[in-house]
Amino acid sequence: MSAHASTVDPKKAELWDIHHHSHDVISTRTLGYFLYLLSDGMLFATLFAAYGVLSYQHSYFGGPTPAEFVKPWYTFGQTIALFLSVLAYGFGMNALKHKSKSGLINGMLAAFVLGVIFLVLDIHDMSHLYSMGITLASSGGMSAFMVLTQVHATHIFFGLIWILVMIAQVMTKGFTEETVGRLLTLRMFWHLQAVIWVFVYIFVYLWGYIS
Amino acid sequence: MSHGATDPTMHPEVQLSTSKGYFLGFAISIALMLLATALVTSHSVPPFGLLMVITVCAGIAVIAQIYFLLHIDISEHNIWNTVALVLFIPLFLITIGLTWWMFSQLYLRTMDMSVMSSVTNPAVHAPATPKLSDMSGMNKNPDSGN
Repeated sequence: MSAHASTVDPKKAELWDIHHHSHDVISTRTLGYFLYLLSDGMLFATLFAAYGVLSYQHSYFGGPTPAEFVKPWYTFGQTIALFLSVLAYGFGMNALKHKSKSGLINGMLAAFVLGVIFLVLDIHDMSHLYSMGITLASSGGMSAFMVLTQVHATHIFFGLIWILVMIAQVMTKGFTEETVGRLLTLRMFWHLQAVIWVFVYIFVYLWGYIS
Repeated sequence: MSHGATDPTMHPEVQLSTSKGYFLGFAISIALMLLATALVTSHSVPPFGLLMVITVCAGIAVIAQIYFLLHIDISEHNIWNTVALVLFIPLFLITIGLTWWMFSQLYLRTMDMSVMSSVTNPAVHAPATPKLSDMSGMNKNPDSGN
């Protein structure tokens, strides 16, 4: 201590770090958005739980069950469209890595078109059920089935709007810290929809079809 | 460049993108979904075994997507995403598992036995559920399922 006291002048010593350190704004935002997406995952947990307790035979109240109307290969078509959309967005983000604005926009446009195909297939499927007289009100089981699948479809709908907004922002603002950060959060959002779709497809559509 | 100091496209979370990784995530998950769909439509595996197989397919596909698409690993830039996800998984499973368990116990204690046969063994054609033959538009035979 005495040796230190002799070399450090208390009047001039810096007792704390006064220099400005910039935050990694992008990483802070992506972590925050990831935590939000996990809470979105809890929303799906409650809907899967509701479907789990409302998918017994008595839940369908004598009405139609997924075994009667699910067409696995049709829904597999939706799976291909969504996974290809996710792949196209990934390729777009790879173009961002190489600072290619046209590559990014092409990837996002392809992701948008494929996402629209997914949504059109879903809406066609739902209107087909409606034409057979199967609605949200048919039974508790059907309520759980439709709410779960259509909440996922709603995520896709808002993701498509977000893709259009980001295409416009990239074209007008270029690659700024804000736009790049938003592209990264949109990548998380879009790719997480594929993860949730695996659960929806396997445990709602396919398991509903065989049970 | 809003802050002028650095190029945002050089951010590590941008630079960790690889076309190969995204393609692998796509190829693995689509192959597993194809396998699950083919097995389900072929009716070649008994239902319980089929549930096990498609559950494994879902598990592997989700792990592949989380690793290749969401970049969940133990690298410096992703470790907190990984920690958050690892802590999230038990919440997700407990929410679904406990809810399902509670209601299955409730059904066991409140349903009459003719219904129970269909609850405990969905393969049994139990003529138990109330028939709503006058439900609008129901032109299907309720017993045609399973």
